[in-house]
Amino acid sequence: MLALNNIRYAKNSKEIIKDITLQFEESQVTSIIGNNGVGKSTIAYIIMGLEDYKPTSGNIILNGEDITNLGVTERAKRGISLLWQEPTRFEGLTVENYLSLGGRINKDKINEALELVRLNPKVYLQRYVDKKLSGGERKRIEIASCVLLKPKFLIMDEPDSGIDIMSLDMINDIIVYLKLQRTGVIIITHREEIARKSDYSYLICDGRIIKKGLCNEIVNYYKATCDVCDTINAPKEE
Amino acid sequence: MIDVVKAYEEEFEQLVKLYEKHTQDNSLRNRAVASIIVSGNRVIGLNTLKGIDVKSKTREDGVVIIDVNIEDNVIMPIPVHLCTGFLEKRGEQLLRFNYYIGNNVKIKFKSHCILTKIEKLHHKMISDIYVGKNSSLIYEDEHFHDENGGIFVETITYAKLDKNAFFQNKFSATKTRIGKINVLMDLELSDSAKADLESKIYGKLTDEINIQEILRLNGEHASGIAKSTIFATDLTKAHVINEAYGNAPYTKGHIECNEVVKGENVSVSTVPILKVVNEKSELTHEASVGRIKQDQLDILMSKGLSEEEATSIIINGLIG
Repeated sequence: MLALNNIRYAKNSKEIIKDITLQFEESQVTSIIGNNGVGKSTIAYIIMGLEDYKPTSGNIILNGEDITNLGVTERAKRGISLLWQEPTRFEGLTVENYLSLGGRINKDKINEALELVRLNPKVYLQRYVDKKLSGGERKRIEIASCVLLKPKFLIMDEPDSGIDIMSLDMINDIIVYLKLQRTGVIIITHREEIARKSDYSYLICDGRIIKKGLCNEIVNYYKATCDVCDTINAPKEE
Repeated sequence: MIDVVKAYEEEFEQLVKLYEKHTQDNSLRNRAVASIIVSGNRVIGLNTLKGIDVKSKTREDGVVIIDVNIEDNVIMPIPVHLCTGFLEKRGEQLLRFNYYIGNNVKIKFKSHCILTKIEKLHHKMISDIYVGKNSSLIYEDEHFHDENGGIFVETITYAKLDKNAFFQNKFSATKTRIGKINVLMDLELSDSAKADLESKIYGKLTDEINIQEILRLNGEHASGIAKSTIFATDLTKAHVINEAYGNAPYTKGHIECNEVVKGENVSVSTVPILKVVNEKSELTHEASVGRIKQDQLDILMSKGLSEEEATSIIINGLIG
C-alpha cells in the first residue's frame, strides 16, 4: 500500500496542497480528479519525490516504509514511477536506446512494449526521441517505458494528453494491462472516459480532497458540480 | 594486404593496430577497401580502386600534399578509409588535401585521426574540396587524442558544391580528450546544392574548443544545416560561431549550437550570424547553453537511474 498522510506543500510561501490523506492499493486503479490548476500534478510530483516538491509536513509510507525523505531514484527503485504529462525530448537517443535505459532492458521486451502501445518496432526502434516525433508518438513511447519498468505503483499524469481521441481505447487497455500485472495505477485526469476506468476516486479542489468514494459516484458529482464550475479553487460547501 | 612503402612496414603495422584498437575495424588490411594511410609527414600506405586516383608528395617544408580525384559517375559502395597517425611523441604534422569529386559521383570517406601517445603535437589539416554536379560526398571524421591534452589540432575545410551536389560532414571528437582544437568549415553552395555539417566534441580538464562553420548559400534553392554540439566539463573553454548567408532566392539555412556544461568552471559561448541579401531566402537558428535539462534528468531518474547514470545516457545521445 502507498499512503500519503496529512501532506502539506507550499511554494513561495503559498500553500498549494492543504493537508491531504490518500491511500493507494496494488492491483487497484485510483483516480485523482479535478479541474486544471487545483494541484493534481503537484500531488504526482510529491509522490515521485521531485527535488522541488518536498512536503512541508506529513509523511509518505510505502508498504510500511517511510519514504518521505527519499529522492526520486530511490523511490523509483522501490517501485514507484511516473508517466509524465508532457514527456520531454532526448536529442540523439534512439527509441531503442531510450527504452533500454542504457542497455538495462533487452530488445524483445522493448518490442513487446512498443506493440502494446501500438507502435511498430520496425518503424520506431531506430527513430530518435526528438522533435521529429509528434506529441502523441512521444507519449506512447513514454507509456511503453513505464510498462517496461513493471512498477508497483504508476502515477499516470493526464495519460490521454497529446493522444488523439481515437487512441483512448489504447490508454484504457494499458490501464487494464497494468492492473492485471498487479500495478497500482494512480490516474490524474479530468477526462470522464479515463476516470471511469478507476475503482476508487478522489476529487481535488484548492489543494484539498473535497470528496472521495467509488468512481461513478465521484465522477457524477464532478460532472454535475466541478465540470460546470466557473471559478478555480473555490470548492462549494456541501 | 594493401600497398605499403617497404621502409615503413613496421610503422604501418603500429598505426593499423592503434586504429583497430580504437575503431574495432580491420578495413585498412582489406584489398577491397580503398584506403590512404598517413603517418607523420608521409603517405605510407595506399590502396586505390577503379575511378579513384590518389597522388601524394611531401614538400621540402614538411607539408604532405595529397590529391584525391574521383572520376565522373563513380559509385563507391564501400567507404574510402583515411587514417592519419603520428607515432612520435612530439612534433608537427601538416597536411593538405585536395579533393576533386567529379560529376554524378556517390562516395563516402571515413577518416580517423589517431593521435595517441603524444606529448606535444601541432596537427594542421587544410582540405580543399570540390563536389561536382549531382554528386554526393559524405565525410566522417573521428579523432582520438592522447589524454594529456598536449595536442593542438587545426582543421580547415573549404568546400565548393556544384549544382545539385550534396556534402555531409560529420566531425566527432568525443571518446578521448581533445586538447586544443580549432575547426573552420567554409562552404559555398551552388543551385540546389545541399550541405549538412555536424560537429560533436567532448571537452575535459583544460581543453579549448573553437568552431566556426559557414554556409554560403549562393545558388537558387541551395540549402544547408550546420549543427554543433559541445559537452564541456571541468575547465573547458568552448566558443562556437555558426554563420549562414542567404545570397540567392529560395535558399534555406539552419544553424544550431547546443552547449551542455557540467562543472562550475567551464566557459562556453555561441554566436549565430545570419545574413540574408535576398528577400526569398529563409534562415533560422537555434542555440542553447547550460546544464543538462532538469526535466530530462527527472524523467530518467523516475525510472530508477541515478543522476550520474541519467547524465551519461543524455550525453551519449548528444555526442555519442
